[in-house]
Amino acid sequence: MTAETADVPAPQEPENTREPRLPKEAKSPRALAWTRRRHSAARFWREYRTHRAGVFGLAALVLIALAALFAPLLVGSDAQSVTEAPGEAMQSPSTEFPLGTDQFGRDLLALLVWGARISLTVGLLAAFLSVAIGTVVGITAGHFRGWYATVIMRVTDWFLVMPTLVLAIALASVMDRSIWTIVLAIGVTTWPTTARLVRAQTLAVESRPYIERAQALGGGHGHIMARHVLPNVMPLVLAQTTLVISSAILTEATLAFLGLGDPTVVSWGGLLQDAREAGAVSAGDWWYLAPPGIAIAVVALAFTLCGRAVESVLNPRLGVSR
Amino acid sequence: MDTQDQHGRTRSSSAAPAGKPRSRRPRGLRPRGLLVAAAAAALTLTGGLATPLNPAPQQADARPAQAKDDGKKTLTVAVAQSVDSLSPFVAQRLLSTSIHRLTYEYLTNYDAKDNHAVPAFATKWEPSADKLTWTYTIRSNSKWSDGKKATAEDAAWTFNKIMSKEGTATSNSNFVTNFKKVTAPSPTKLVIELKKPQSTMAALDVPIVPKHVWEKVDDISKFNNDKDFPVVGNGPFILSDFKVDQYVKLKANKNFWRGAPKFDELVFKTYKDQDAAVAALRKGEVSFVAGQPALTPAQANGLKGEPDIKVNNGPGRRFFAIATNPGARTQDGKKFGDGHPALLDKRVRQALFLSVDRKTIVDKVFQGNAVEGAGYIPPRFSDYTWKPSAEQELKYDPKRAARLLDEAGYKKKGGKRVGKDGKPLDFRILCHATDPNDKAVGKYLKEWWGDLGIGLKVNCLDDVSVPWYAGEYDLAFDGWSVNPDPDFVLGIHTCAALPEKAKESAATDNFICDKKFDELYEKQLAEYDPAKRAELVKQMQSWLYDSGYMNVIAYPNAVEAYRTDQIKSLTTMPSAAGNIYGQDGYWSWWSAVPASGKSSSDGGSSTGVIIGIAVAAVVLAGGGALIALRRRSTAEDRE
Repeated sequence: MTAETADVPAPQEPENTREPRLPKEAKSPRALAWTRRRHSAARFWREYRTHRAGVFGLAALVLIALAALFAPLLVGSDAQSVTEAPGEAMQSPSTEFPLGTDQFGRDLLALLVWGARISLTVGLLAAFLSVAIGTVVGITAGHFRGWYATVIMRVTDWFLVMPTLVLAIALASVMDRSIWTIVLAIGVTTWPTTARLVRAQTLAVESRPYIERAQALGGGHGHIMARHVLPNVMPLVLAQTTLVISSAILTEATLAFLGLGDPTVVSWGGLLQDAREAGAVSAGDWWYLAPPGIAIAVVALAFTLCGRAVESVLNPRLGVSR
Repeated sequence: MDTQDQHGRTRSSSAAPAGKPRSRRPRGLRPRGLLVAAAAAALTLTGGLATPLNPAPQQADARPAQAKDDGKKTLTVAVAQSVDSLSPFVAQRLLSTSIHRLTYEYLTNYDAKDNHAVPAFATKWEPSADKLTWTYTIRSNSKWSDGKKATAEDAAWTFNKIMSKEGTATSNSNFVTNFKKVTAPSPTKLVIELKKPQSTMAALDVPIVPKHVWEKVDDISKFNNDKDFPVVGNGPFILSDFKVDQYVKLKANKNFWRGAPKFDELVFKTYKDQDAAVAALRKGEVSFVAGQPALTPAQANGLKGEPDIKVNNGPGRRFFAIATNPGARTQDGKKFGDGHPALLDKRVRQALFLSVDRKTIVDKVFQGNAVEGAGYIPPRFSDYTWKPSAEQELKYDPKRAARLLDEAGYKKKGGKRVGKDGKPLDFRILCHATDPNDKAVGKYLKEWWGDLGIGLKVNCLDDVSVPWYAGEYDLAFDGWSVNPDPDFVLGIHTCAALPEKAKESAATDNFICDKKFDELYEKQLAEYDPAKRAELVKQMQSWLYDSGYMNVIAYPNAVEAYRTDQIKSLTTMPSAAGNIYGQDGYWSWWSAVPASGKSSSDGGSSTGVIIGIAVAAVVLAGGGALIALRRRSTAEDRE
């Protein structure tokens, strides 16, 4: 992820993003804003396309997301059922079961597809929660300086030095076993990086003259933060989100592997945990262990590639090739 | 039950009785976070131990079972359970009581062949004509490891201490509640006077401790017997060292009256992760992997092809059951806990059990390494085991289950069973997070009961003892190891076992308290005729079966494995086809004969180290390169 205190570049002020070739006929301000947004999205995509790794990452993500979304159609909705399991226990890969079966005789390929749902959902939700907390903390800390910022940044520092996994394990084990617990545990333990990043950016934005102008015109705290600072830190937050997702998915898998997930839902980390408990490691049943592990790695990699590409599109100073 | 044990409460009567193998483990709830963290750390650690990266510390503390340079022969046993206490007055878990079997003498032992009582500390025992006075002749050739002679005086002191109930009866109270007086008129004669006849007098599974050592202990109820090593004892082994959750070391007692064990040292080494234990067995770092929890089918199949490893698959002493909360209460009838009120209806309990296909569970979850459940006592104990008749049997019959639920007033509305109060029928089931079988069976139950319209939440905890003692569960996975004498496992369902105060630990398993069951229990305890007693025990099982409080699903086999290049032979119990770890006597370890062959593990572990180091180097180099790249790319951003 991005270095925490980096003074990140720059999000363009809204005024500057206006494209020179605006339509001549007069339009409502709303329509103007939309045109402008459309143009900048198109420009974003043009630049994004030039990052080959980013495109690969995106393609992989779209594929996996589609598979997860259409899991019931692709592999059947009873693939998770143990009572309807089609195979024998621990069968090695065959034409009927391309990835073999688990200890209940369920098709591992189908479980892998179903597991994508939980892993992606938890990863996304946890990342959004984490980034949301980080953004709120970062913007407020950057905006209201003084004792508030001091206190809140010390809290951030404290969370920053706490080992995330240990904290998440502690949280997950005192609460009920469900995916919401995992989302919460990841969300509330991984926000400090985002908070620091956003705060730095907020400080940079707030030092610009137009903020002073807005204040002179009577803009209150809420107005400044929501209408001027937030849009400017948004690109940064977006890039940060894509990067946090991959670590959230990894953390989710880790927690599930440690047995802190909901044992009745299938997730990739949970599959690894099931495999370990069934003794697949010592029995050498690689088809049970490898696919979930590879899937976790691929998704985490894909999100990282996308995040990197987004980051360098939004921040030309990072250079083009990576 | 008690929640006491981790994998088992074992104590009990006889030999280790019960293990509740699956039982609740004693860790506390509040500290659960920490514990889980610790468990995670332990997992990582044991995982680490099992990897090739880490063989050195392993060898340093527990030597592999084989002849070392100094010629000492060590037998290392990998166990998953931790020791609750080394004090015979307190210990309940299978591991701890097995250690007591090995380090102290009991009045009697069980024959390895057919479980009948054989002489141990006592050479002869006989009741008086009125059956109320038992006289034991104590052997004169048993010596404590500090050189003093072991006499009837020690036995009398031990029993009197337990009877005093100063916190000393945690583990053996069921044996002494009936005792009036215990005296030692001479060093070789022990006399026990009873209030009522008691049928378990030849199966008193009470370790006899040395009076001259224990009378100096200030508070026996808090003493864990783990301060001064070696611990004075007179069994086939002497307890010589102990580190919590790491190992228990025993050395051979060369003066043991039955003959010295063939191995010089016996080490129980803790492996919280069974796969790590199996890996250690493959590498020869341990000689034996205890079947508790049993090896999974995949592990057993994987080991079967290995040279020098033998997998022992014997009939188990345990049952695996679903307990339903009958409404937790104290001895004086005060109710506590939050068990689901629907479970107070017998029809609902039976409906739940009717929709559990035991055959599928045996075939799929245990993959044949278990026997389908019926009565409470496993078929291995042929005298006492019981099977329901055809019309009494609650066979897998979801239709009948649905009918019963309809009758009980839980009609199906839109796929869910709804009570008269309009609330859907949703249960929680307590499961042991460390037991894969609980989770696997939980998946099946969720689907079967879901078809019936009943919701199920599988609540897996590392330590189930807290909600269990508090009565805060609807259903729970339960299991005990049963002794040759069934008194203990029956006694945990009597009213006398209920807790005195709400949420306190007690001998009760599942808060069952029923007058009829108690009457039968009293009768069987007083019945000296084995056939008549067995008949009473069967009636008790029949009552339990009908009640729906304890639904036995299966009797899992003990699946364990050992290295034949380190252990030449050992005795199973029953000797024809039985288990090795957690026997009712000390036969397995006392009889184990070391193999003379050299093990090949050394070469393996050094290549392991090289591979491990290479892998670590690659990972480090890769990580370093990545960081360097990243730093370079962000160089401009950094200030």
